Amino acid sequence: MIDQIYDRENYVLAKKLLDVSHARHEAISGNLANVETPGYKRVDIKTDFAEELKKLAKSNDIESISALRATLETDLNSPSVRPDGNNVQLDSELMKMNKNAMQYEFLTQYTANSLKRIKTAITGRVM
Amino acid sequence: MNIMPGLESTASALAAEKVRLDVIGQNIANAHTTRGPDGQPYARKMVSFEAKLLEVGTNSDGGKNFTTGVGIKGIKSDPKAGPLVYNPGHPDADEKGMVRLPNVNLTHEMVDLIAASRSYEANLQVVRTAKQMAQNALRMGR
Repeated sequence: MIDQIYDRENYVLAKKLLDVSHARHEAISGNLANVETPGYKRVDIKTDFAEELKKLAKSNDIESISALRATLETDLNSPSVRPDGNNVQLDSELMKMNKNAMQYEFLTQYTANSLKRIKTAITGRVM
Repeated sequence: MNIMPGLESTASALAAEKVRLDVIGQNIANAHTTRGPDGQPYARKMVSFEAKLLEVGTNSDGGKNFTTGVGIKGIKSDPKAGPLVYNPGHPDADEKGMVRLPNVNLTHEMVDLIAASRSYEANLQVVRTAKQMAQNALRMGR
């Protein structure tokens, strides 16, 4: 019975997005670590991942959402301003990191609130 | 999956940038060293980085997780000869009174120093953000 609470699509989606956010921070930290490595190409979450997730969210297909994996891909489209081909830009990478952390914070708060609502429903008391 | 994302790659970057700062410090300190252990003037040292795959535990399917870190590929000496200056009173001057100075260019070193300390700072910011994210995640159940 409790599974039904945790299998609601918004909860599953939030969980998936938290995973993606986590993976994205991992990717960005790798990029920032290699900001001075000759020839390094930045990595990020696959660009069509957001589209795919949006499509699945619309169809309310819980199982496919939880099975969807966020894979990383090498970003060859970003222009390089260095002669060695490294395409990591410190400022844009830091901006992406801040944005991602903000998204993570939003998602954790969203999940915390939905957990709180479940608690309220169980106990009948507002905490 | 570890709770603080990206810690391993950031740690490797901080270590690598520190080595780079060390080497730059060495170059600046020896900017006027006209005689080393081999009798030659000091040669400028350069650090080169390479991307490295680091293992960061296993994922839920039992497969290994990897992340890209950075490592030191090598520390090379710059073979270019330094400038020759006329200074007959110098103990290392040759019979014509010329002294071979090290090939350290202070401007070059300072620019490198700024770049290295900026990327060190950027990596520290990554750790701070990862910590913030972990704290948010831990607060979720409360």
